[in-house]
Amino acid sequence: MKKLLQLKGVYVYGKNYPRLSNINLTIKIGEKVALLGKSGAGKSTLVAVSNGSLKPATGEVIWNGIPLNKRTHRQRREIATLWQDLRLVEELSVDQNINIGELSRHSFLWAFGNLLGVIQSKTCLESLEATGLSREFIKEPIQILSGGQRQRVAVARLLNQQADLLIADEPLSNLDPVLTYDILQLLLNKKALKMIKVPETSIISLHRPELIVNFTRVIGLKNGELVLDCLTKDLKSKHVENIYED
Amino acid sequence: MIRRTRRYFLSLFLFANLAFSQKVSLAQETLFIGAIPDQNPEKLNRLYKLLSSELSQKLNVPVKYLPVTNYSATVSAFRTGSLDLVWFGGLTGVQARIQKPGAKVIAQRDIDPKFHSLFISNTNTGIPTIKNESELKVLKGKRLTFGSESSTSGRLMPQYFLQKAGLKMVDFKGKQPGFSGSHDATLALVQSGSYEVGALNEQVWKSNVKKGKVNLNKVKIIWKTPPYADYHWLIQPNLDIKFEKGFTEKLTKTLLGLNQNIPNQKKILDLFGAKKFIPAHARQYKKIEIIGRQLGKIK
Amino acid sequence: MKKVSLSPTIISIIPAIAIIPVISTLLNGLHNGGVQLLFKFFLASLQPSFESAVIQSALRGIQITIAIALISWATSIIGGLLLGLISSKIFWKSVANSEYNAIIIKRLLAIPRSIHELIWGLLLLQFFGINPWIAILAIFIPYSAILARVFADQLDNLDHSKFFAVKQVGVQTGSAFLSVLFPPMIPIISSYGGYRLECALRGATILGIFGMGGIGTEIQLTFQSLEFRELWTSLWILAAVTFSLERLINIWRKQLSKNNNQPRQIITFGFASFLLTLISFFWLEKLDIHLFQGWELHGLPLPTFFDLVIAFQELNWINLIGNTIVVTLLAAGIAIGIPPLLMMLWPTNFGLFCQSITWSFLRLIPPPLSALLLLLCTSPNICVASLALGLQNLGVMGRLLKEGIESQNNDQHIAIYSSGTSNNMAWLYGNFTPQSKSYLAYGAYRTDVILRETAIVGVVGGAGLGWQLQESLSSFDWPQVVLITAAYAALTLIGEAISAKSSQNLVKSRQTTK
Repeated sequence: MKKLLQLKGVYVYGKNYPRLSNINLTIKIGEKVALLGKSGAGKSTLVAVSNGSLKPATGEVIWNGIPLNKRTHRQRREIATLWQDLRLVEELSVDQNINIGELSRHSFLWAFGNLLGVIQSKTCLESLEATGLSREFIKEPIQILSGGQRQRVAVARLLNQQADLLIADEPLSNLDPVLTYDILQLLLNKKALKMIKVPETSIISLHRPELIVNFTRVIGLKNGELVLDCLTKDLKSKHVENIYED
Repeated sequence: MIRRTRRYFLSLFLFANLAFSQKVSLAQETLFIGAIPDQNPEKLNRLYKLLSSELSQKLNVPVKYLPVTNYSATVSAFRTGSLDLVWFGGLTGVQARIQKPGAKVIAQRDIDPKFHSLFISNTNTGIPTIKNESELKVLKGKRLTFGSESSTSGRLMPQYFLQKAGLKMVDFKGKQPGFSGSHDATLALVQSGSYEVGALNEQVWKSNVKKGKVNLNKVKIIWKTPPYADYHWLIQPNLDIKFEKGFTEKLTKTLLGLNQNIPNQKKILDLFGAKKFIPAHARQYKKIEIIGRQLGKIK
Repeated sequence: MKKVSLSPTIISIIPAIAIIPVISTLLNGLHNGGVQLLFKFFLASLQPSFESAVIQSALRGIQITIAIALISWATSIIGGLLLGLISSKIFWKSVANSEYNAIIIKRLLAIPRSIHELIWGLLLLQFFGINPWIAILAIFIPYSAILARVFADQLDNLDHSKFFAVKQVGVQTGSAFLSVLFPPMIPIISSYGGYRLECALRGATILGIFGMGGIGTEIQLTFQSLEFRELWTSLWILAAVTFSLERLINIWRKQLSKNNNQPRQIITFGFASFLLTLISFFWLEKLDIHLFQGWELHGLPLPTFFDLVIAFQELNWINLIGNTIVVTLLAAGIAIGIPPLLMMLWPTNFGLFCQSITWSFLRLIPPPLSALLLLLCTSPNICVASLALGLQNLGVMGRLLKEGIESQNNDQHIAIYSSGTSNNMAWLYGNFTPQSKSYLAYGAYRTDVILRETAIVGVVGGAGLGWQLQESLSSFDWPQVVLITAAYAALTLIGEAISAKSSQNLVKSRQTTK
């Protein structure tokens, strides 16, 4: 299998202690990786380093054979991130937000058109429907949506990006059980979509170890170090306990 | 929808073309006139049509009055050639002539060769009437206000006489005289008592007394300055080229010919507080120039 | 010992202390000599002149003012947005990965901002003569620079994580700006931009120095001749026009806040303003003011270094600058501190209504006029200038505060009030506190404006840079003019540095107290 993302000897320093130390990690196409760890273990930092929004102090990150920060605009589109705080544009409507997912494929004029609300994108509609959010909401401003609805809009925007790798930072906290299941199915590409290419590969950070059965591989962070990396089928419960104990 | 907007813009464009081409076809040099905002400028602003139509009729050119509301802006507008004929005060006229060499003084009012400023005081202050220049010293330590910074009668000449009497500007209460902004404001502020002494244009005083706006129990004249030459009409040096040969002379004659017995012309003369306009010469203002330099108003 | 922590709420109200020295000085010099005239002024408000020549002239004036105000307002908003963009840190961070350019441009923009439009007008007049475009340019320059500062600050205060998240996935910078950073700017553009229209109407006073007339010319000239009844004719017309334009904008803004597609609304509005501006050109043409006329450049000998040195020695800088700072600080104190104080003391609906009327009235009276009115009953000193400047700007601050509070929801007030707190305290904590930070930011901008405006209250005979500038201009002493405008720019820069520093400290101290 082809290597998609490689982290080699990555260090990131915080104020008093390293936030990531000596991370070596290779993600291959098709892998569904669950990222475990306590709060403050370095999950968000690892997510940020993996999608390129944070440059490591030392070490390198390779995407498809080239350094992560040397990607062209076109290649940047290949990694999609679902942020913990969603990062939706509050002042815009649902469809305008979802359209932002495909903004990198279009011109400035298209962006202007989206602002005017004259853009009608088929992939936008399919993304919305895939998340199970009713079409009625399509013109509503984000401000009036509930937490769960916002989460779905963020997922729809991410799907509309049609990336190769999906990175999600605790997408499932604050969701009820039914919704958790739905969203997870979507993110792990277990639902077929017509027009949209859903990322085959995903890294999703989690708080809840009971969900890892859905993944193919589990990695665990503790105090910024990679302490666990194995296939889900080989996982023992003591591995997980080790991550969460002091 | 795009086509419709395009058509819309096209028609706008055509409309614009029409509006401006019309102006071009009428193009004829216009005589721009102006005045410093000195006395009753608001009336001048409303009644300027009287003057411009009179001049336009006699000179056979379009005349436009531009109501410039600031003394130094009027001078600058004259320097840049935006105004052709301007009613200036003594000081501003000299400033304008220095900045625009060749400009000609053509006329003044019958009262302008021997113009006076008045020192007035609030009666509560008990300042006695002054008999000669040197007695101005009694004003030392009083609160005094001038009119506008650039006014000849409301600032330059009064300051000159004060200085001649040995008073410096820091000798007044507050270490500096005030500048009320206009002759009328000077009168109001001295009458109210906010300032003990003020200096203003004699003509404004007289017309305010006539209108009953002066309470003679509260404010009185303490000194009338010796005469000096003040307001005058100044014109650009190039008008004979801009319009036609002999234009300057024709214009001068028109101003000098304004007659009180013709109703419309009387209204114009009243606007300027004149009985008639008389010939004027640059040499009459030599003294103003010297004083202006002395007091730093001319560099 | 307990450390006192200063919250923005308190810092906003403390400046009101400035009113104490000002009022006590004025009371000290109080006399009744001018009461009659003052009475006449207020009486005249009830019986403005209806003489046909006066009304005709005022009506023509207001048309010119509206047309020029619309043009300069629309252009300065566009200019402000563009300049705001290129003076924001986030812009340079995303295109050049460095903030230095933003800081340099922002500092450079302090120069146009620090000089009053009247002075700009007089300076530009020297080079271009009388030309309506120059009048518009004279308003455009300081206004767009002020708007640029507001927009740049607000742009830099937004949450940028969304912007970088979108850029992260390969979206071009322009599209990312438009899609992520523009939408949250809309309320700021609509509120601050809307309020600038009123400023543009009042600012169009400077048309007088270009001989273009306008309502400002009417006001200035009738006030100069103390023709109060005629003055009120113009003041009422200006008030009516300002009021109705405001209403229109308010209706549109209410519409905007209800609408789901705000960007479309504001872009439509932008297009409408563009059309209005075009119409204004033709309107002016009809009013015999020809915008499309030739340009001519008139040289002016530039002062040499030696001239500047002499000019520098001629002026008493400590006195001039000291006086200017005192006037500015006192006026700013009154303008910033009084509105929240009064609203706290009298927060009922009726009270707020009365205050809002008073503020509109205060905004209507130009500072030179209120200075003269004050002078009629007290002795001249710099407190007169401070109060005159303070009062008009108080009207502006009061308006901004009221709008800010109206645009936020009332939940906090209800929550605090229902816990048994007095209405006054509930207003302070529930309504004002959430607004206090942005109110302080507006206060800093206002202080800028007040500093510029010290250039136009020469009437009080106080020293200060403003008076000296008028004196130097009327003596055509260009070296002095250059130095004084430089001093204004320097003061503005220092003021900006202090306000930036203190807002940083404010944020820091809030974090540590957490």
